Amino acid sequence: MKRILVVDDAATVRMYHRGILESSGYTVEEAWNGIEALEKALESPFDLYVVDVNMPKLDGYGFLRELRQQEIPQQPAIMVSTESAARDELLAFKAGANGFLIKPLRPIQLSTYARLLLGEAIQ
Amino acid sequence: MSSQTQNPEGGPVISDEDFLKFKEFFYRRTGIIFENSKRYFVDKRLVARIVATDTGTFRSYFTFLRFQASGDELQQLTNVMTVNETYFLREEYQFRCLVDSILPEITRRKVNAEAIRIWCIPSSTGEEPYSIAMYLMEHWPGIKQWDVEIISSDIDTNVLRRARAGRFSERSINKVPANWLKKYFERVGDEYQICDDLRQAVEFTRVNLSEAADTIKYRNFDVIFCRNLLIYFDDVSRKTATDAFYESLKAGGYICLGHSESMSRTSSLFKVRKFPEAIIYQKSLESQ
Amino acid sequence: MGLVKGKPTTPTGKPKRANCEELKASLDDPDAAIRRHSAQELLRCPGAVRLLATRLNREKDVAAREAILASMAQIDDFEVVSELVECLRSDDAALCNEAIETLKHLTTDVSPALKSLLSDPDPDLRIFAVNILESRCDPNVERMLIGVIEQDINVNVCATAIDLLCELGTEAALDPILRIKNRFPSEAYLQFAADLALKRIRGI
Repeated sequence: MKRILVVDDAATVRMYHRGILESSGYTVEEAWNGIEALEKALESPFDLYVVDVNMPKLDGYGFLRELRQQEIPQQPAIMVSTESAARDELLAFKAGANGFLIKPLRPIQLSTYARLLLGEAIQ
Repeated sequence: MSSQTQNPEGGPVISDEDFLKFKEFFYRRTGIIFENSKRYFVDKRLVARIVATDTGTFRSYFTFLRFQASGDELQQLTNVMTVNETYFLREEYQFRCLVDSILPEITRRKVNAEAIRIWCIPSSTGEEPYSIAMYLMEHWPGIKQWDVEIISSDIDTNVLRRARAGRFSERSINKVPANWLKKYFERVGDEYQICDDLRQAVEFTRVNLSEAADTIKYRNFDVIFCRNLLIYFDDVSRKTATDAFYESLKAGGYICLGHSESMSRTSSLFKVRKFPEAIIYQKSLESQ
Repeated sequence: MGLVKGKPTTPTGKPKRANCEELKASLDDPDAAIRRHSAQELLRCPGAVRLLATRLNREKDVAAREAILASMAQIDDFEVVSELVECLRSDDAALCNEAIETLKHLTTDVSPALKSLLSDPDPDLRIFAVNILESRCDPNVERMLIGVIEQDINVNVCATAIDLLCELGTEAALDPILRIKNRFPSEAYLQFAADLALKRIRGI
């Protein structure tokens, strides 16, 4: 079963994303910020990362940049932001994101993007 | 029907929602997750704190806990929720990491014959620094080529005194292999006295991590072991301590935190390094 | 070879105590370690806050930035609050987040600043204000959060407030949460967060 790491400092967001992704048949783990996410990814790399931008100590961009430098399997990452400015989308892709979504996410958005990036058929 | 911890004395009960609320709060503040399997463990201790603080109900206790500016109750709570006894070779995998991964990196980079310096804080009653000393003697071939200084500090002069004395209980030496016990300890009654060689090898000092005047003296360390201390600090003190560690490390120096600890609630100053044995934090090689 | 008795290293000689002009200059030194040290020492100089804040906005080195913020946190006055609030408008996400963290731990009363931020036209700034509220240990926090969910038009701002109400909401928040559910009926995340908050507050 594919493993997804949901990274956000808000508990309700993590729970919400977890619910959507678990319904789609994935195993989900959580991290509170970029540092915790990095530690978890290093322990056991995930198949997909769903990462918020604004988090304490190490934000989404910082996490992705660090992740991309590590010698672990480089799996896809979706950046999730409240901002819709084109600048942030570009920054996200530069940091190593493969997808960029604007909060709040609708279930169909997240599950479709997850499937897409995990190379699975869209239902 | 939601389950609750039944309190035979009819005291405070912790509902499912209470547990979840507490779990999320504690995870956010400390990084420690309590799965549902730990329900009984958590509930029992929460009830004990509710009683100790005379708050009567979980709700009142949680409000008290959450809004207390000093953070004292969170500290107390963290204390009871975590296992913080010390003994020889506790979290041994980190010593293995020291010997198999960290020291090889250090010696590869070394450009002089200066001693490798290890700072162990808190020393508590000495089990940790003495464990490191023995581990190096027994497992690190490099000990024959390199000088190693182990400095170990604590804020409590009583424990420092006991650490210097080096007298330990049966419980404390429980994990020490039999041949090490024979080699480095002498049985005295129902206690164990560590040998003079090791007692001489470790320098014990008093340090208050929140006092800049204390920590300024600590410089040029290769490795810091700070296990199961920062988790009991409030956010501000934790930051002060971490900053002090940063200053006290050489460029490329390493910090080991406790098993259930992480820099995630503290600082992004250090690079996260994954070694086969453990996750360790490293100060940038380019710094200083 | 082997284990050797060591000592903490006392810095060799007493370092020359730089004067404020020197510190101000070395705040822009090419060496990040020198900038970090300057930031640590500068807090005893007049005009420190402005100098530190100016450097902060350009500082890319994490350790130097942390030292600047640590000094500002130690100074902990209204000028610091004001400068950090300005940082919240930065394009640099890391700087915004660090400013939030620092503001969270100041003892200076940030409520006036928060009130102002909560009515800022930029929804992200209103979210940051709610983030800062998380650390405030005063009974007004719930009232302010209720104010947000009653009045704010942005779903993310409201959701951030609801997330915090999950933890510290009381019966007073129940009706406002029910009302906001009606305001954003088709926002799945908000409905989810609101339902969770209701469950947590009711305790069942």
